[in-house]
Amino acid sequence: MRVADAAREALRTLRVSWLRTALTLFGIVWGTASVVFLISWGLGVRAMMEDCYGRVGRNLVQVFPGQIGSDFTPAADRRLLWITLDDVDAIRARVRLSSLVLPESQTFRSVGFRQTTTSLNIRGVVPENVELRGVEVSAGRAITRDDLHHRRRVAVLGSKARERLLGPHGGVGSSIRIAGQPFTVVGLLSRVGMQLWQDGPSQLDEQVWIPFSTLAGFGKRQGRDGDVVDNIMLSVKDRETRKAAEHEVRAILAERLRVSVDDQEAIRIMSPLDALEKIPLDQLGGLLFTLGATTLVIGGVGILTMMLDSVQQRRQEIGVRLAVGARRRDILTQFFLETFVITGLGGLLGIALGLAGCLALASLATADLIPQPIVRWQTIAIALGVMTFVGFASGLVPARRAARIDPSVTLRTE
Amino acid sequence: MSPGDAAAVVRAADEPVIELTDIRKSYSSGRFAVDALRGIDLRITRGELIAIMGPSGSGKTTLMEILGCLLQPTAGSYRFRGAPVEAITPDGLAALRGREIGFVFQSFNLLPRLSAVENVELPLGYGGVRRRERRRRAEQALERVGLAARGRHRPAELSGGERQRVAIARALVNEPSVVLADEPTGNLDTHTGEAILELLTSLKRDGATVVMVTHDPRIGERVERLVEIRDGRIEHDGRVRSGTDPDGV
Repeated sequence: MRVADAAREALRTLRVSWLRTALTLFGIVWGTASVVFLISWGLGVRAMMEDCYGRVGRNLVQVFPGQIGSDFTPAADRRLLWITLDDVDAIRARVRLSSLVLPESQTFRSVGFRQTTTSLNIRGVVPENVELRGVEVSAGRAITRDDLHHRRRVAVLGSKARERLLGPHGGVGSSIRIAGQPFTVVGLLSRVGMQLWQDGPSQLDEQVWIPFSTLAGFGKRQGRDGDVVDNIMLSVKDRETRKAAEHEVRAILAERLRVSVDDQEAIRIMSPLDALEKIPLDQLGGLLFTLGATTLVIGGVGILTMMLDSVQQRRQEIGVRLAVGARRRDILTQFFLETFVITGLGGLLGIALGLAGCLALASLATADLIPQPIVRWQTIAIALGVMTFVGFASGLVPARRAARIDPSVTLRTE
Repeated sequence: MSPGDAAAVVRAADEPVIELTDIRKSYSSGRFAVDALRGIDLRITRGELIAIMGPSGSGKTTLMEILGCLLQPTAGSYRFRGAPVEAITPDGLAALRGREIGFVFQSFNLLPRLSAVENVELPLGYGGVRRRERRRRAEQALERVGLAARGRHRPAELSGGERQRVAIARALVNEPSVVLADEPTGNLDTHTGEAILELLTSLKRDGATVVMVTHDPRIGERVERLVEIRDGRIEHDGRVRSGTDPDGV
């Protein structure tokens, strides 16, 4: 008997005992749907995490000056270190693994607009900050090199800072006061959204950006060799070379500040990528896959049970088939295919259900920290693979049992 | 059957289809061994109409199963059309059952999920016959047993007599050398049984060898040769009534 005939037979059997088929199918449908949904959801969580950690800046690495570590100097002489614009220029000139190197300083100051006064985080920035942070200017313009050169009193507001300060009345061109001095709003930043990692005490949306040189005039410390920088920000080329880039920067800076390259307290380097790597996303993915696959295997056990029962009930049929010329192999094929057809059917329905679940959740998820399931064809391939394995495993035992049935016993009339 | 086969059949007309020599079969269940057959010698030639009779427990069903190659004897030799059955592979036995032997059972043993015509098609399917050809030959076989109009019905929608006719059509569809019928009238009322019996005896006209196992004495009256077995041995083997017209009513 050819395979096509056996498959047709299998479909017929399943149709006749449709209720039992449907109940058994449920396990496989649910299992496959779980695999598809959970893997997609896991990918969504990963993407969301990466997004929320990356909002502070693309492949951002920050370098802060500290204090010489106690391992490197007597406790009484723990020199405080500071970084200047010259250090930034030196790093920019010598570093190979980073495309952007820029300075930033920050402070809290009272900011006023008309009758409103509020305390906001003021960041002294350079023009490249827009690129490094990956934000968009929604209105007006960003801080320019010209602003920097002339120490202009101009400000660019983050979306929340704008809401709190200007309300509905102000915008580009509004006059505000920062620490009692008049500033003009020249640009507005579009909303960034919730950051899971932020540098310093504020999220990007809450910041007020002014030229770096203007902030330096606010009574910040003056270094001998130029303006003091709170921290250096780098955008590393990619995650793989991040550690090497950090090492490079640390070496350059250690040489200039005359500290040991091993002194982690003197030169502190931080990155959201560090924090992200500490989150066990691979484990989460593995756990979700295991959960889904286990559900599917349990569904397979349901099919195994049903097929064993089916073989027992159809002993007479098997006897008849053997009597009219079926080989053991034909019986094996028949029962195996029946299991396979039912698993395949359940699997396809399950994949459809899983995809529907993903789409449904994606259409609901709007809040910042709700992951959106990400469907990849690899996920469907994995679901199909696990399903095939389950069908194979749960079909083998009943089929072998069916093929071993003794026709002479089953055909006895009483 | 190809013309070549037909010629072979004519030449082999007097050759034994079935030849049993000292066939023994014992079943062991736990400590007890039951000797179902204790040395059966039987020779059946082509075109014979034969009944094997005996009381319950005489071993006739076991004999039937051995004849049908569903069961291996414990000892003895069985030649089917000259070939020693013990030497045939399991797949070869399956092919032999499918092509050379047609079974008719007391409880019909139709597959309830299949329609009548699909039940008749079964042996052809395992024989590798193509779908369209299968359907054509199955319908022919149904016509031969007078059920051409009932082919689409499920067994549950047929009467007992009709079911047994379907079973006979299934047994005949491959034009087997031997039709083995185990209590073919056992589950039927007298009148229907009579009609089935008539159908089976009529097969002789088409050159088939028919072996019926029964304890129905009326069957014994209709056949040319009667084998009586008791306690696993042949007690009597011979013509019951010479000159019986097997086709007569």
